Order: sequence, then C-alpha cells, then structure tokens
Amino acid sequence: MEASDVSPVQRRTFLMVMAAAVGGVLTAAAAWPLLRFLSPVGAGDAAGKVEIAREQVPVGAVHFFQHRGRPAVVLQQTAGQFIALSAVCTHLGCVISWEAAKGEFLCPCHGGRFSSEGQVLGGPPPSPLESLPVVVDGGLLIIG
Amino acid sequence: MKAPNCRNGLTIAVFLWLVAVVPAGAAQEQTVCLQCHGGLDGHLGAPVGLWQTSVHAENGISCHDCHGGDPTDFVMAMSPERGFIGVPAYAEVPEFCGRCHVGVLGDYRESAHGQAIDRGGAQCVTCHGNHAVVRAHPDLINEQDCSRCHDYGRAAEIKQALKETDAGLLEMDRELQRIHKRGFSTEVLEGALFDLRNRFHRVFHSVDVQKVRQETGGVQAELDKLADSVKEFDTTQGKRKLWGSVAVALLVLLGVIFLLVRKTYEEEEQGG
Amino acid sequence: MSAVKLVIDFLDVRFGVRDLFAKELSGYLLPKKVNAWYTLGAVLLALFGLQIATGILLLVYYVPHVDQAYASVQFIMNEIPYGWLMRMLHAVGANVIVIALLLHMLSVLFMASYKGRREFTWLSGFILFNLAMGLCLTGYLLPWSQLSFWATTVATDAPGAIPVVGELAVEFLRGGPTVDNQTLGRFFALHVVGMPLLLLGLIGFHLFCVKRRGISPPPFGAEFKNAELLPMFEHEEHPGGIPFFPNYVVKDAAMICFFLALQLAIVFYAPTLFFPASAFEPADPFVTPPGIKPEWYFLWAYQTLKIFPNELIGLGVQGAFMTFLALLPFIDRGPERRPAKRPLFVTCYVLGILVFVAISVWGHYS
Repeated sequence: MEASDVSPVQRRTFLMVMAAAVGGVLTAAAAWPLLRFLSPVGAGDAAGKVEIAREQVPVGAVHFFQHRGRPAVVLQQTAGQFIALSAVCTHLGCVISWEAAKGEFLCPCHGGRFSSEGQVLGGPPPSPLESLPVVVDGGLLIIG
Repeated sequence: MKAPNCRNGLTIAVFLWLVAVVPAGAAQEQTVCLQCHGGLDGHLGAPVGLWQTSVHAENGISCHDCHGGDPTDFVMAMSPERGFIGVPAYAEVPEFCGRCHVGVLGDYRESAHGQAIDRGGAQCVTCHGNHAVVRAHPDLINEQDCSRCHDYGRAAEIKQALKETDAGLLEMDRELQRIHKRGFSTEVLEGALFDLRNRFHRVFHSVDVQKVRQETGGVQAELDKLADSVKEFDTTQGKRKLWGSVAVALLVLLGVIFLLVRKTYEEEEQGG
Repeated sequence: MSAVKLVIDFLDVRFGVRDLFAKELSGYLLPKKVNAWYTLGAVLLALFGLQIATGILLLVYYVPHVDQAYASVQFIMNEIPYGWLMRMLHAVGANVIVIALLLHMLSVLFMASYKGRREFTWLSGFILFNLAMGLCLTGYLLPWSQLSFWATTVATDAPGAIPVVGELAVEFLRGGPTVDNQTLGRFFALHVVGMPLLLLGLIGFHLFCVKRRGISPPPFGAEFKNAELLPMFEHEEHPGGIPFFPNYVVKDAAMICFFLALQLAIVFYAPTLFFPASAFEPADPFVTPPGIKPEWYFLWAYQTLKIFPNELIGLGVQGAFMTFLALLPFIDRGPERRPAKRPLFVTCYVLGILVFVAISVWGHYS
C-alpha cells in the first residue's frame, strides 16, 4: 500500500468522496426517525374511535365491543340515552357482565357490582368503571 | 367495601414502617382474630397457620373477609351483631365462598358436583381446602382426591382436556413477561390473558367434558391471537436489529475511512 | 464553487472568518506526538450534543408528574414512531458518556497533563465529571419506574448519615420526607435546565483553559522534555506540529464514529444491559423490588458506604477522596510528567483503578 504510485492527495480525495457518501446515507438514516418522531400523532386518536350501528343497542340492552384492545360496553338506558364504559373491572381486571334483571354490572371474579353509570355499588372495586364518550351520529354511535 | 378500607390501613402501616426503617418484604396486618387464635392450640389455632399459606393470605384476604365480625375489637370480634358468621354447614359452603366468587358459583351449581351437594357432593373446600385455600389449577384434579368419592376415569378425561390449554396459558404468561422486560407495553395483552385464564378456570367447575372441550377451542383461538401479537413484536425487534446492524456497520466504515484519511495526512507530515 | 466563495467573502468582510480559520483551525498546531487519547474531548462534545438533541426530543412527549411520568415514557417507547430509539439512545448515551469521561480522566491522569499551570483545566474537568454524574442521577428518576424510585430513594438517603443536618439535607434533596412528586419536580428542573446550563458554561471554560494555555504534549519518547515554567503567562506553542484542521479533525471524527457505533450496538444488541426488569414496572412506594442496585458507575460509592461500620465514616472517606482528586494538581506540583520516572504515582494509579474495579464488582455481587 505504501509504495503505490497514487499520491496521498489523490487517495484522500477518493476517501473523502467515500466518506461523504457514507455520511450522507447515515444523515438520511438519522433524519427519517427524527421526522417520524415529530410527525403529528392525530391519526392514533381516530384509530381509538369505534363505530357501532345504533340498532345493535336496543333500549335496555347492552353491547360489548373492543376499544383500544380492551373490552368495553355500551348500553341504551332510556331511549336515546347511551352510556359507554370500560368493561374491565377496576378491582383486578376481570371483564364485567350485565345483569339485565337488576340493571347493573357484575364482576364474576369477586362479586364487584357497578351501576349502569359505572359507579361502584358493592364489592372490592376501588373506583368506578372508566367512562367513554359517546356521540350519536344518525344511525351510528361513535365511541372513544 | 370492607376489603379496600383495610388494605388502605395496611398500606399506611407499611408506609410508616418504610419511612422509619430500611424497607423489606410485606407486613401482615395483626387483626384481633390472628392475635387471639394465633396463640390457641388445636382446631382453634390451626386455621391461622393454614391460612398463612393460602392464596387468600397472599392477596390480603383475612379471617373477617369470610367469617365477618369485627377484626378491631377483642370483645365484639365474634358477635353476630357485628356480622360474625362462624363455620358454615357443609351444604352452605358454596354460598359462603360464592359471596365473592360469584362467577364460579354459577358454573358450580349447574355441575354434577353442585347438583349432588345434598348427597355429599364435592363443594369448594373438597378440592381447594378450607383455610389453606389453593388457587384453581389442573393438579387439583388428581386420582387421590377425586377417587375419594367416585371413579377417576372421567375426571382424568377432563384434566387431559384442560391440561394442554392451561400449559398454553402459562406459556403465554412467560412470553408476555419476556417482551415486557424488553420495554414493550403488555398491559392490554396481559389484561386479555388474565380474562382468558379466569374464564377458563371457571370452566373447571362445570366438571363437564363436553363443555370443557367446547370452551377450549375458543380459548385456544384467543391464545393464538395473543401469540400473533408476541410474534409481531419479535418480527419488529428483528427488523430493528437488522437496520441497527446496517447503521453500526456504516459508522464503523466511516470511522475507518476517516482513519485512512488521517493516514494520508500522516504520510505528508512525515514527508514534509 | 463561486457561490461558496461569495458566501465566504460575505462573511469574511463582516467577521474575518478567513483569519479566524487560519488562526484557530488550520493554524492551531497540536504536538507532533499527539495520540488517540487526545480525541476523547471531541468525542465527549459529540456525545453531549447527541444527549441534548435526544433530550429535547424526549421532552416533547414527557410529562413530569408522578401520575403521568411512567405512562408518558411508555407512550414514547410504544406509541410514538422511533420513540424507543430516542429513549434508548438517551439512556445508553448517558452510560457511554460515563465510559468516555472515565477514559478521558484516566488518560489525563496517566500523562500528568494537569501539570504546568493547568490546575483549572483539571478542576473544571473534574467538576464536569461530577455534573455528568448528577445528570445521570437526576435523569434516572424521571421515568418514574420501580428502578427510578428505589434507586433515588437509596441515593438521596446517603446524606442522612451526616450528624445534625443529615435529616434536613435528605428532606431538602427530596423536597419532602420521601421521594414524591416534589422530588420529581426538582430533579426534572435540574436535569433539563439547571445542570445542562451549568454543563455548557463549564465546557466553555474548560475549552477556554485548554486553548489559552496550549495543548500539553504527551510525555513519551526520547525527545520529550518537561516544560520549564517562566514567571509569566505562556501559551504553549508546538511549532512544526500537526494542524488541528484538517489533519487532526479526521481522527476526532473517526473516534466519534466508533463511539457512536458502540452506542448504537448497545441499543440494538444489548438493549437490556442498562435496563433491569424493574425499569419497566411503574414506581410503587410500598413495594421494594428485590436486589435494587445503583448503576454501575455508582457501585463503588454504594459499596464503600457498606464497608465502613458507620455511614458517616464512609461518606467522609468518599468526600476526602473526591476532594483529593479535585485538588490533585495543587498537591502534585513536581515538574516531572514521564510515567516511567514517577513509579510511586503509577503504582498508586494502577492500584487505584484495581481497587475501584474490585469495590464495584464487590458492590455488584454483594
């Protein structure tokens, strides 16, 4: 290598072109995550909304669905009055069931009881069920 | 509403203790029940030791949570006025436990065990023990225990049907732990697994091979969904590693190029 | 090309950039025998720059409140695109900086580069080292994980051994009797504003000292001579030396590339190296995770506190040792810099490193 007929200056020029190329690729590789990191995250919010046909939730009935990967429930207490709640019990995380006869939710694991608004009626749950906003849009319920 | 209150009491006690001394394991609340019965001999003292090994003790469920009474008052502790219940009769045990374990109670009542309770059919304590309560597990179905009352054949069949899926649930739990340790938020997946395990363990109580087989299919499908999430995580990690390798290689290459450039200068410095 | 020349002309008539370039970069000559250890300053500058960049990015989504801190870090790690990369780079970067700082200090010590009226270069560097440790400590709490909470509880507990004012000092550090939202608030302010500002100022002073006094040549080789000091200010010149730009800058660049490669390699191949399982559990003041240990660079301090029968003695020994190191150039005043002619110093140096490593390993396994 030492005894080559290429002068150090020529070698350097070649090496600097290489360095510029590799450096350029690395800069681009660093710029992409930066751009994505700072991109608006609004799209994630829309994905968290769930649409349900209104006729799936008759008056006095409940409908279970998935919201952000977790079980949730919507009920129509009186005509046009929709309530959506997380269906995960706040005690240990079992999924609650609807007791139509009593008009309340029951957790089958340790008997936690919740009102149709999600308030604790009895049992070990430390806090009410998480409430989800419901918007009625014609024949659609938009939840989340 | 009693349970959360006394747990708050417990946490405050632990908290004060943490402030005062160097922290170590969890403390057990000394109710008057434990203070008195802990010092008694024979059948009046034995439950304390048994209870300490139970899943109830592990989760802070103490004497009064099942037997009622007042755990803070020596005189009135066992007064019916304060809701003391004492020992339930054999056939009343399912109702006794079912005050909390409502879901299981439903499955149990419909089962052959539940239907036969008046003829001495198995109830909660038969399999789970009374004070040393054991968590639901396929090993609770075993020849020694089942053949106390009946032939083991059908029980073995049920156990076989449960075992594979239960192993799958355990395996998934380990998988979720693994990816959780890598910084992946497994909260949602763990919630789904928790619900799945509870649903499946409830099925144990129906002691119905047909029903168990039916449910197993559904549980298996849910487990597959969870497995897909884990697989997706692993694939993502693999991709990140691949791109990371490229970046590391490029940085090393760039470093070597700069060293070679430095060498060209060194030659000039020596020559000049 | 002419466009570049136009821009340079424009700047030159205003700031004299050509003159600046000739004097400070191409005309800034380094000692002929300058070695690879001399690149560590540039490496540290680059690493600190990356920490500031990733730190600002993390600030975009981080919420400094006990109710949301852990969730916001989880959000960064799982939801924000490449949030995991920024967070891992920042956390791993802190560790790589500590490694580079130790190497920088150890090489300066070995070559006795603090000699020849360079006391303030050393002192400012030593304070910078402690400041970096402070940044590590305060940053550790911010994710509000079990690891954060308990490591901070243990660390802020140490001053409690000081008589009379100990309890007060602990409360003052924490902003209350225990690690809580107040602690998070003050650590956050220190970590993202207070300490970085101080750090930048001190880096400026450190560089000023280095530039103003002149680079200390490596004390090796037959032709090396210890400097003879005149009773006046001198800028140590290196006639016939290596131009900083472009000749030596490429070596700096090469070393920066290697350190960044190391940092990325840890991020991608050993992501759990600095993240035990308790780093991914939310802080719980009522449950102490088993075997909580400080980070590797605090293990020596942790273990010395345990060795001595009394924490106060341990703290005293640590304080004395750190003060001795800080004031070393004022104590070690002889002109000799060649390690071969300083057997006592080299013995202490090697023993010191061995003891440091041994105590750290002991602390890790105890």
